[in-house]
Amino acid sequence: MDRALKARLQARFGDIASGPIRQRHDETELRIPAGAAPDVLRALHDEPEFGFLMLSDLAGVDTGDHMQVVYHLWSETTSDWLRVVADRIPRDDPRTPSITFLWKGAEWMEREAYDMFGIVFEGNRDLRRIYMPPDYTSFPLRKDFFLPDDAARSPGGGVRHMERSHAPQGAPAGTIRRVKA
Amino acid sequence: MTTTAGPHQHASADDPRVMLDDQIGAFEPIPPYPPRTEREAEFYTLGDGEMFLNMGPQHPSTHGVLRVVLKLDGEKVVDLDPVLGYLHRGVEKLCENADYHQVISQVDPLEYISSLFCEWSPVMAFEKLLDVEVPRRAEYIRVLSGELNRIASHALFMGWFALDLGGLTPILWSFIERDEIVEMLAALTGQRMLFNYFRIGGVNGDLNHDFMSRLGDWMSRATGQIESNLTLLNENEIFVRRARGLGVIDTETALSMCMSGPNLRATGSPFDVRRAHPYSIYPELDFDIPTRSEGDSLARYLLRMEEIKQSLRIIDQCLHQMPDSPIMAKLPRLLRPRPGRAYAAIEGPRGQYATYAISDGTDQPFRMRIHDPSFIHLQSVGLLMKNNLIADTMAVMASLDPVMGGVDK
Repeated sequence: MDRALKARLQARFGDIASGPIRQRHDETELRIPAGAAPDVLRALHDEPEFGFLMLSDLAGVDTGDHMQVVYHLWSETTSDWLRVVADRIPRDDPRTPSITFLWKGAEWMEREAYDMFGIVFEGNRDLRRIYMPPDYTSFPLRKDFFLPDDAARSPGGGVRHMERSHAPQGAPAGTIRRVKA
Repeated sequence: MTTTAGPHQHASADDPRVMLDDQIGAFEPIPPYPPRTEREAEFYTLGDGEMFLNMGPQHPSTHGVLRVVLKLDGEKVVDLDPVLGYLHRGVEKLCENADYHQVISQVDPLEYISSLFCEWSPVMAFEKLLDVEVPRRAEYIRVLSGELNRIASHALFMGWFALDLGGLTPILWSFIERDEIVEMLAALTGQRMLFNYFRIGGVNGDLNHDFMSRLGDWMSRATGQIESNLTLLNENEIFVRRARGLGVIDTETALSMCMSGPNLRATGSPFDVRRAHPYSIYPELDFDIPTRSEGDSLARYLLRMEEIKQSLRIIDQCLHQMPDSPIMAKLPRLLRPRPGRAYAAIEGPRGQYATYAISDGTDQPFRMRIHDPSFIHLQSVGLLMKNNLIADTMAVMASLDPVMGGVDK
């Protein structure tokens, strides 16, 4: 845990952050509104006191209530992974700015997040599906997409892990798994 | 291809003529729909004298099932568009429907050439979620088997790369090396390829006599054997002159393309997760991070060969320092980590493998993101291939060393 990084982030992004900066193990988490992602990431990338030159990962997340885009960054100025969570992207019309202007290599990761979650990255030049066929219409990693597994709905569902659907037994139709993340 | 009877008169799947006509239609590179993005519109507009050539998905040198649409001007590649998804299994979704232990066997076949690394990062992420400390002996065994797997992967790379440049012998030689390591790991883990060996909190089995005797036997002659393999290519003028200056990339571009691993280090950047963000017992081990400054295919090849030597050093130290302790942390059968998030990255033979896991307090991960270096590196092929010849496409692709299982997830 790099306490100094937390202080630096607090001083620089305290007014933009949409939640407290959390630290656990070797990770520091900065939570921002999705619209602020380009500015925050540009500052983290360009300002020498941060120098997060490497985008380690870009992931889409569906928490069941809203969407997130999670960036993991690496810099030699700190011993932590920095996790920037672009938070509270509405589930019914998920839109967020693209960061391909900073890291061109994010293009395919954004395409993947679009393919799996339907998150539209505004400014990505090539936002096509990447894994699923072009005429596919669903977004498979969303939490309201259940595996097409008949066993999940059988009377034995819930006995073995692989055969259990996400919805708790006896829950009203449309219940999906949620997390506070 | 003209047929005497039109395909519509004999719409039988058994009729080879019908199949042939259908196939030609199916692999038409121009999509039968209007372009959906700016980039697609640009790519699928032909300039003066340009043409499309479809390569794959069943092409022998695409290293798996990859389709590449090439835009050609004569023999020069103007642009290319990789089409993925032929091996897509939806492994992230499968992991979200499996319990924490079952994840390990789900992620195994991602990069089937270096399966231990695919297991390593999820296992590390789950250990962070659970706040488990892994026994030291288990960490040593992980590093030992992982480095063996790295050598096996790099040895295979050498063979495939030479094969894509037209050399037939190196693949036979490199399989000798790989086979010995694979047999060794089979003695340790019980499997030749999909090891399913790492466990949350340790490893599945302790070192055994069969493994140790094979390893000792191999270590005594490995250095010489690898050196002699290398002379086959390093002093081969045709190979060196062909690979030099092919697919050049500089550090800044490589970082903006999110590259990592040997492909990034071949441009001069010393980024290696083992040193840049140490994990496991790597801080205690003495090894170098080789770098090269050229950034071309030859540099990527030579760098991997240098890494083999460093891996041998690591294995040697592991064998000398192997501590005595249990190989598994004490954990319940059913794991229910507290709600939280964890990110773990490791340095694999192809670059940075990472896992981002979210727990919601149940026995299944709520979200599991797998970051695969092959996927990242494949997208720079277009950049590296600009104005090269068709024959070099596969050579450049092979020098980036993607594995399609990992690309398609």
